[in-house]
Amino acid sequence: MSLMDLGLVRGLVGQVLGTVAGILIVIAIRLAAGMEAGLNEPAWVAGAFLGAMGFLIGVGGFTDWSKWWVGQETPFVHGPPPGKPAWVRYFGTDYNHKVIGIQYAVTGLLMIMIGGAFAVIFRTELARAGLQFLGENTYNTLLSLHGWAALFGILIGIGGMSNYVVPLMLGAEDMAFPRLNAFAFWVNIPAIVLLLLSAYFGWDGGWTVYPPLSLIGSAGYQFVFLAVFFLGFSSILGSLNLIATILLMRPPGMSLFRMPIFCWAVLATSFIQLTATQFIAQAFLMLSFERLLGMPFFNPTNGGTPLLFQHLFWFYSHPAVYVFVLPGLGIISELLPVFARKPLFGYRWIALSSIGIALIGFIVWGHHMFTTGYGENLRIWFMLSTLLVAVPTGIKFFSWLGTLWGGKLEFPTPMLFVLGAISVFLIGGLSGPILATVASDLPLHDSYFVVGHFHGTIFGGFVFPFFAAIYYWYPKITGRMYNETLGKIHFWLMTPAFWAMSIAQMTVGTMGMRRRIADYEQALGGMITPTLGAVEVGHIIITIAGFVIAFGVLLMIYNLFNSAEVGELAGDNPWRSRSPEWQIPSPVPEQSFARPIAVVGEPYDYGLPGSYVTAAAPAGDD
Amino acid sequence: MPKSAFDQRHFIIVGVLIAISTVVLYWLLSTVLPLPAQASIEAETIDTLISWHLWLIAFLFALVVVFMLYAVFVFRRRPDDHSDGEHFEGNTTLEIAWTAIPLVLVVIFAYYGITSLNAVTFASDDEVTIKANGFQWGWSFEYPNGVQSAELMLPVNRRVKMELLTRDVNHGFWIPEFRVKQDLLAGQTNYLRFTPTMTSAEYEADYGRELKLVCSELCGLSHWSMEATVKVVPEAEFTAWLAEQLVAQTPSVAQK
Repeated sequence: MSLMDLGLVRGLVGQVLGTVAGILIVIAIRLAAGMEAGLNEPAWVAGAFLGAMGFLIGVGGFTDWSKWWVGQETPFVHGPPPGKPAWVRYFGTDYNHKVIGIQYAVTGLLMIMIGGAFAVIFRTELARAGLQFLGENTYNTLLSLHGWAALFGILIGIGGMSNYVVPLMLGAEDMAFPRLNAFAFWVNIPAIVLLLLSAYFGWDGGWTVYPPLSLIGSAGYQFVFLAVFFLGFSSILGSLNLIATILLMRPPGMSLFRMPIFCWAVLATSFIQLTATQFIAQAFLMLSFERLLGMPFFNPTNGGTPLLFQHLFWFYSHPAVYVFVLPGLGIISELLPVFARKPLFGYRWIALSSIGIALIGFIVWGHHMFTTGYGENLRIWFMLSTLLVAVPTGIKFFSWLGTLWGGKLEFPTPMLFVLGAISVFLIGGLSGPILATVASDLPLHDSYFVVGHFHGTIFGGFVFPFFAAIYYWYPKITGRMYNETLGKIHFWLMTPAFWAMSIAQMTVGTMGMRRRIADYEQALGGMITPTLGAVEVGHIIITIAGFVIAFGVLLMIYNLFNSAEVGELAGDNPWRSRSPEWQIPSPVPEQSFARPIAVVGEPYDYGLPGSYVTAAAPAGDD
Repeated sequence: MPKSAFDQRHFIIVGVLIAISTVVLYWLLSTVLPLPAQASIEAETIDTLISWHLWLIAFLFALVVVFMLYAVFVFRRRPDDHSDGEHFEGNTTLEIAWTAIPLVLVVIFAYYGITSLNAVTFASDDEVTIKANGFQWGWSFEYPNGVQSAELMLPVNRRVKMELLTRDVNHGFWIPEFRVKQDLLAGQTNYLRFTPTMTSAEYEADYGRELKLVCSELCGLSHWSMEATVKVVPEAEFTAWLAEQLVAQTPSVAQK
């Protein structure tokens, strides 16, 4: 076989060809019109756009649909492509949700590691006052890229969990729209290429890219705008698919309130993604048009309003925070009953609290803009709506405690990460109300306190649960058990390091350390010795903790690769879970369920003798 | 150790531990979250609000973590035990309680939030208006009599109304010792009020560094270096300085 057998390689070749074509078209038109032509911003934008399309054509994202347009049959291929090694299917267009789930999860993990690596580099610069080894341009680019690379990783990682797990939990053969599912994954890859290419130009706006700053910087901004625009397609199409799957493909007997709780979290998440993503795509497109075509949306000197951008941006980006954390909170709720050997406490309350968070999440965006001067009484309304988020979030925390209480707790690695997630999300969540209250937000806004707050929510709401999910479903995916000792070392490295990092971030924040600065004043929080400032001690702790976390993650990667070869055979249901996906063989066969299933009991009736969740579906009921 | 999950002794032990942990945590939090000097009346109002928030954080953190750790230690599976936990699926009274009580807390903190916001944003008849211009990457200031300066000169114990304008991109006006903060948005005039209560000479003597205004909103490459020295002086000195600068900055006949 040759490299060109891999869809990924064909896609990347397509992206190069598309980029060249886009650049040449713009140069040709400009030459014909007698304008100055060269590798300028319009040429790059056309190249970036056609390059992404070229990737999708090359990887085969449009192949089946274009065959339909000319009336050709497209039989559904099960299993790896004939005559090629089995691993080839992971590098090309494949319609099996389990393959797509792995593609998402691995890509997501990779992006989180890239984003984390950027952070570790600029963190090292911040360890001591003074500019040591990074210039301003490199620092700001790394900082800005850290944000988007990590968010790409999170959004793609969520796709991994939901695509792999949801159809299995529903006893479904696949997602509702398998071709759309593959397309929604592959559109992420050209987006990632564009995002990383922006580093070549350098850009300094942070992930929020507020105009007018983002209107005057390098062409790198255009690559970011288009990367987010394409990634948005993945969010919208993927969430559409998940909603259709969850609402229409449940087995007989599985009412909405008998779904595994993770499906509720995915449902709430998908509704946000389906309805909010358009706003950021729109806002970024407007920035792109303003730069390229001079349309005066945001620049005040041409009659635009920079505040408008912030409203559009946060109307997506706040609900997006709940997109990042709701699936993770779902993982916590899903795994706790298994390892506590008890029913999930207050199932309906937890399920509806996800919907509650999703709905309230749409009316709180203004708290990111308390200092923009948008009007005194508006600040009060946004303060009230934001504080309300505490209520459904509290329901989740207290219900988790109710689930633990009186259980027979076991502590394998996934459970440790779930408990770690609760403690970390607590740090993130409890530092929220102080920022939601306008007056106490004023000194903390745009300070490192906010950095500590949102890393707590993202790590507690996504990273820890994502790792818990990886360890938990690893035996289902590979048929082998990961190395428990290495898993526990990973946990005990990462969790204390993260606590220390969060607290130190909040400490330097209250001392007066601003976000997003390449250098800071040594004497800001007072001096401990003549050559060591208190704020430096905080930064040294954060930097060391960052390295420890990075090492822990590398340990996990080694564990995942190594155990796939040498791990013990795990059996079908090592966790004694009641969920449908654990009632089938590990690794899951090509066609997951040999027979259609029916649901005959509640999902979490641990400790109730003689109860079952699934049974073979009655004949004729398919 | 009591066997049933509903034994009252569990809850008495947990309750005591939560009470102790709350106090310890509050002390820890106020130690690891050191606020800068209080150099304005806003700082006093806001710091009180923050300390109430820290009590809330300490209590809720203790509540969740003590229950969680207690369960981890008391309700762990013994090595030879493969049975399941006690079967109970929920408790509607409890769920309603932990929906309603946070709701009440939200209302209390919202009310407190509104009053404290009013206490830091009020206008005053005798306030002095000073214009601040932000630009990449520096500041300039203009006073009521037209005098301009590169250092921000402020009278102590007098209400100040800052008129905030930017010449290019968005910036942020922040003197951490005053707590309050306001963005400078392109194409729009923003306002920020505060009353300094400490002269910069006192501040420098106590803290060994200059009082500084910094830019709090990412504004490009040298955002980190966008700062200005703040001089807070007695009002008489402020008035004298304004008059002196007016003479110095008015072009004399000879120069024309």
